[in-house]
Amino acid sequence: MIGKILTTLGPWGPVLFGFGFLAPLIAQVIERTGATPPLGLSPLMVGLIVGPLLGLSAKLRGRWL
Amino acid sequence: MSSAMEVLAKGELDDDIEAVAAPSDRDLARQELTIARRYIGPFPVIMAAWGLGNLTCWLALWPLTISGVLPPWVAFPIATLNVILCYLPSHEAQHSNYAKSGAPLRWLNELIGYVSTIPMVLPFKLARMTHMEHHTHTNNPELDPDYGVKADTWWQAIIEGIKRRQPGRNDSYAQTLKRLGDDPVVRRTGLEAAIQVLAYWAILAALAWSGYAIEAALIWWLPRNIGVTYISLMLSWAPHFPNPERGRYRNTRYFKARIGNILVMGMEHHIVHHLHPGIPLNRNAAAFREMRPILEARGCRFETL
Repeated sequence: MIGKILTTLGPWGPVLFGFGFLAPLIAQVIERTGATPPLGLSPLMVGLIVGPLLGLSAKLRGRWL
Repeated sequence: MSSAMEVLAKGELDDDIEAVAAPSDRDLARQELTIARRYIGPFPVIMAAWGLGNLTCWLALWPLTISGVLPPWVAFPIATLNVILCYLPSHEAQHSNYAKSGAPLRWLNELIGYVSTIPMVLPFKLARMTHMEHHTHTNNPELDPDYGVKADTWWQAIIEGIKRRQPGRNDSYAQTLKRLGDDPVVRRTGLEAAIQVLAYWAILAALAWSGYAIEAALIWWLPRNIGVTYISLMLSWAPHFPNPERGRYRNTRYFKARIGNILVMGMEHHIVHHLHPGIPLNRNAAAFREMRPILEARGCRFETL
């Protein structure tokens, strides 16, 4: 069961991390620094766009850095 | 004397030399063991207090930071130190140095092993199993789970360590479990490891979506990444560099660290640990000082880092 979960989700780990952790992290950093997101986006919307995109990029390139 | 007699005489002489050398080898082994036994046994209170105290400190950072008592930027270096310090007490538990199997305090051994590495998210059974493989196959490129740290310089070791943790890379610990086969103990180890790692990611996401992403990043996620890099450098790369030899007395080394034994987390005397894993870390230096003449006679490596 756990093995199946890991096998299925494992390759999508970076994207899930982008959504599950980076998105709220980016949003909260924007809020705490008082930065104004462009195009009238809310901090959370910026997080939800940037976080999963960073994750997808990491998944496709095979590296975060 | 005829040539046949000379050969015979030489053969007898060689036998005599071996007869003298063999007891010497046994004597060295006996002396080494006698010294080792003096340091093995008493409950390593310092290591136990270190493990539980370090965990308590790290756990305390959460309410202190979330309640606003401690700014996250203050918690961050403390948490990083906690991660760096969390492995070694668990390492003693991996070798059952708090209590052997069946002993009354065995539960404490396992407790320290399981909980002390929570900050670095290292599942205990996985750590124990792969560490035993490291001891059995030290410096074997195929079988030593820690061989991946091999690098020519310390900064290359850091870069290689970061590369190993990138998405899609083969995890040497997972590979080791796979190699060890379809055994119930191995399966249980893998299951426990998977649950603990999944729990880490789930807790991190739950904290982040509850409004504590910065706290989670600065107390757990970033410190874990920095700490694992530091631990890998000091505990795996430094003592075994340059990883070419496999003999009992040559697969690791004594090294004089220019930055001091504390910053290399006591690894100057790592050779004592490989020879006698039952000696706790806090007694390795004293054991080394006593064993030094024996280790020199054995041709051990004495180097500088």
